[in-house]
Amino acid sequence: MTILDFKDVSIDFPTSKGVVHAVTNVSLSVDKGRRVGFIGESGSGKTTTALSAMRMLASPGFVSSGEIHLNSLPQSNLLSLSSEEMRNVRLSHISYIPQGAMNSLNPVMRIERQIWDGIVAHEGSVSQSELQRRSDAALESVGLDPKIVASLYPHELSGGMKQRVCIAIGVCLNPDLVIADEPTSALDVITQRHVMQTLRDVQAEIGAGLILIGHDMGLMAQSVDEIAVLKKGELVEFGPVRQIIEAPKHPYTKELISSVPLVGGESFLDPSTASGTKPTEASDPTPLLELRGVSKSYGSLTALHTMNFSLDGTVPKIISIVGQSGSGKSTMGSLMLGFNPPSTGQVLFKGQDINRQSASQALAFRKEVQAVFQDPYACFNPFYRVNHALKFPFERFGLSQGSDHTRQAMEEACKAVGLAPETVLDRYPHQLSGGQRQRLIVARALMLNPKLLIADEPVSMVDASLRATILKNIHDLKDQHGISIIYITHDLATAYHVSDYVMVLYHGQVVEAGPPMEVIGDPKHAYTQLLISSIPWPDLDRDWGSSEDARTALNELAQIEGRHDAIFRGEIPGFSLTQS
Amino acid sequence: MTTQNAAAPETAAPDMGGLTRRQIKRMKRFDNPWRNPKLIWGAALLLGIVALGLIGRMFWDTDMVFTGSGLPRQAPVGFENIRGQIGTWAHPLGTDVTGKDILALLIVGAPNSLYVGVLASLIGMSIGIFLGFSAGFIGGRTDDVIRVGSDVMITIPPLLILVVFQAAYGDISLTIMAILIACFVWQSPTRLIRAQVLSMRESGYVHMARLSGASTGHIMFREMLPNLVPYLFGSFIANVTTSIVTAVGLEVLGLGPQRVPTLGRVIYDAINSGALIQNLWWWWGIPTVLLAVMFIGLLMVNLGLDEVSNPRLRRL
Repeated sequence: MTILDFKDVSIDFPTSKGVVHAVTNVSLSVDKGRRVGFIGESGSGKTTTALSAMRMLASPGFVSSGEIHLNSLPQSNLLSLSSEEMRNVRLSHISYIPQGAMNSLNPVMRIERQIWDGIVAHEGSVSQSELQRRSDAALESVGLDPKIVASLYPHELSGGMKQRVCIAIGVCLNPDLVIADEPTSALDVITQRHVMQTLRDVQAEIGAGLILIGHDMGLMAQSVDEIAVLKKGELVEFGPVRQIIEAPKHPYTKELISSVPLVGGESFLDPSTASGTKPTEASDPTPLLELRGVSKSYGSLTALHTMNFSLDGTVPKIISIVGQSGSGKSTMGSLMLGFNPPSTGQVLFKGQDINRQSASQALAFRKEVQAVFQDPYACFNPFYRVNHALKFPFERFGLSQGSDHTRQAMEEACKAVGLAPETVLDRYPHQLSGGQRQRLIVARALMLNPKLLIADEPVSMVDASLRATILKNIHDLKDQHGISIIYITHDLATAYHVSDYVMVLYHGQVVEAGPPMEVIGDPKHAYTQLLISSIPWPDLDRDWGSSEDARTALNELAQIEGRHDAIFRGEIPGFSLTQS
Repeated sequence: MTTQNAAAPETAAPDMGGLTRRQIKRMKRFDNPWRNPKLIWGAALLLGIVALGLIGRMFWDTDMVFTGSGLPRQAPVGFENIRGQIGTWAHPLGTDVTGKDILALLIVGAPNSLYVGVLASLIGMSIGIFLGFSAGFIGGRTDDVIRVGSDVMITIPPLLILVVFQAAYGDISLTIMAILIACFVWQSPTRLIRAQVLSMRESGYVHMARLSGASTGHIMFREMLPNLVPYLFGSFIANVTTSIVTAVGLEVLGLGPQRVPTLGRVIYDAINSGALIQNLWWWWGIPTVLLAVMFIGLLMVNLGLDEVSNPRLRRL
């Protein structure tokens, strides 16, 4: 029996530039007790489609044609309900679990009161003891201890707990359908596994249909029964998960699946380019970058424990720093860029302390150390055309020999990263997609030809199908232009493929370090093992494990806390790391 | 809107079909945000007042602001005063009790009032930009001093200080008046800019500029300032309004410049000479209407600028 039917639904957004057809003629059904995944890139209409079932489209969007039926209602057409009837349907029949739990909970209300809110809004006055009993049951169903959690405020909970509270609120009235909008996108992989398992268990228990919105094929493979692939507002493929993953029909689906890098899988980098490695002049014995007893603390919180490493730039290398949020990896990046002074120790570039430089030395340092940041949307000043970001440093560092030369250099750099210069350079940032912008930032680094590039999560905000291309661009910088790269990421699979050396960071400590084949291919430290086993694989035969496994994993994680052992898995020439 | 933004180039081919011509015309109006009706009307009202001053000087004898230029207590054209005299074209807006021509007073006075407001606001904004950037960018002790200073100043009622100050100094020029008022309108731009600079300082493009070896001056004025322009404009207009209100308030109390005609001064003279009981409504009424026009113009420019800088306020 189907619980929700989309019949030929189209959704339009009238804007100042004309009507945008966000969703066109989507028809699909969700069966009772089944999990359906909506997958697609940003702007593909997956959230819009799902939200139309709750009639919660952002203004000015509206359903321009088609019907949406929720079959558990006596009068099933959702679009013909009055707004008061629709209000009653929300939460009690269809509930929504939002993307950012941290922004969805009311910061001044205790957790249990937020659950009671929903119950009272739908059932009128309910006795206090009944409310208490039901909120406790809801919290227990998501694996939270009501005795502790119920009377806390949202800021006292971790991200994963907040997300589970959102699930508890979503299921407290036993809805027929749950819509979960990227519920784990803000969580790290270990927590993600636990939250997803919780969601699956609760959904199975109440027998509701589930729509899971996401962009990660691996997560989908591990969590849903059927997958709907959306592209530019159209449903391109819909079918059981096994069929979609193992025998995708549409080329776009194939692209989505192949864009997920696998540990130990085939490399997405073309091995033929690796032969062209160009060593730089090996005359100077001073290491390119050296961290000498560097640590960083913010008040009482130590973001990075004392660390020493030296990177010799004679043969370019890619050093990956892997860790989850709060591991101190971005702190390391900003220390190396000189944006933040270390609390102790020195950061030396070519033997010079980067926090004690004269103006001319600082300029020379800036010329030789460049960066690619996480958010390609923020990296361009919205006031200028994008070529400002390329032209300004080129002229500032005295590389330009006139405007024709600058223009030529910009065009060459664009071509090298696979962009057509005439279609991107003279546009404003908001006219380009995230992928184009990030590639322009890589082009900028290429143009300036630095000695060292710090790439801080360069692909985490880029659509999946473009990640491989951008990583390839970055990898080419090393091979073809002799640039050493520090690659900061939370994604073990990409680190496995691109890097020469990997260090895994946990709470500001290196827990495991060495060549990627050893560290990621065959992890020895408990934390690295946990990270690897928590990655959702887009492979149905490689199961993610049950929720019990996920809980054990979290307990194990709690035990790792406070242990100070690092496992070193071998050396590579030109790089050395010690931690005291 | 979010869907449209997220889908930038690929889906950026909106369909104009299925809309009436009227709807398309309404949409087209937003292609260029500066062609905003509120902004245009507001600017037109303000320009009208400036034009009154400029064109008036060419076609009207401004020496008639002096006492005895005409018969006293003349009504505007087509009206009668209490002595039954009908207004003539010699004094189209009438005269006051000393025979000053009202039209000449307005031609000289209205631009003067606007001048005080604009100058005070310009000075206030400059101080605000300088202090706001220093506080936000340098931070630390500088930030503490500037923040506490502006917070304390915001609690002091400006009229009180200005009344005491001007009562002590007596006659002053328009420019001094503007400078005095400017001392009380820099606080809110300082706070506004500081807050914006604090959040902008951590933005990606400022990091990018630092990586590009940009100097502090370049980052402040070439990277950050252009993005603040909508805020600065809005704050500027709001400050002009505040400054004019303050200036007129002082003038109506008989303070401020004694020998230069301003709208506030004309109203002060009218109240002081019993224009209300003598039914000389044109004396105080017409300058008041002109002030109202000025404020409505400023308000509309402000609302228009809000819509320009914040597209979410634009409606179809």
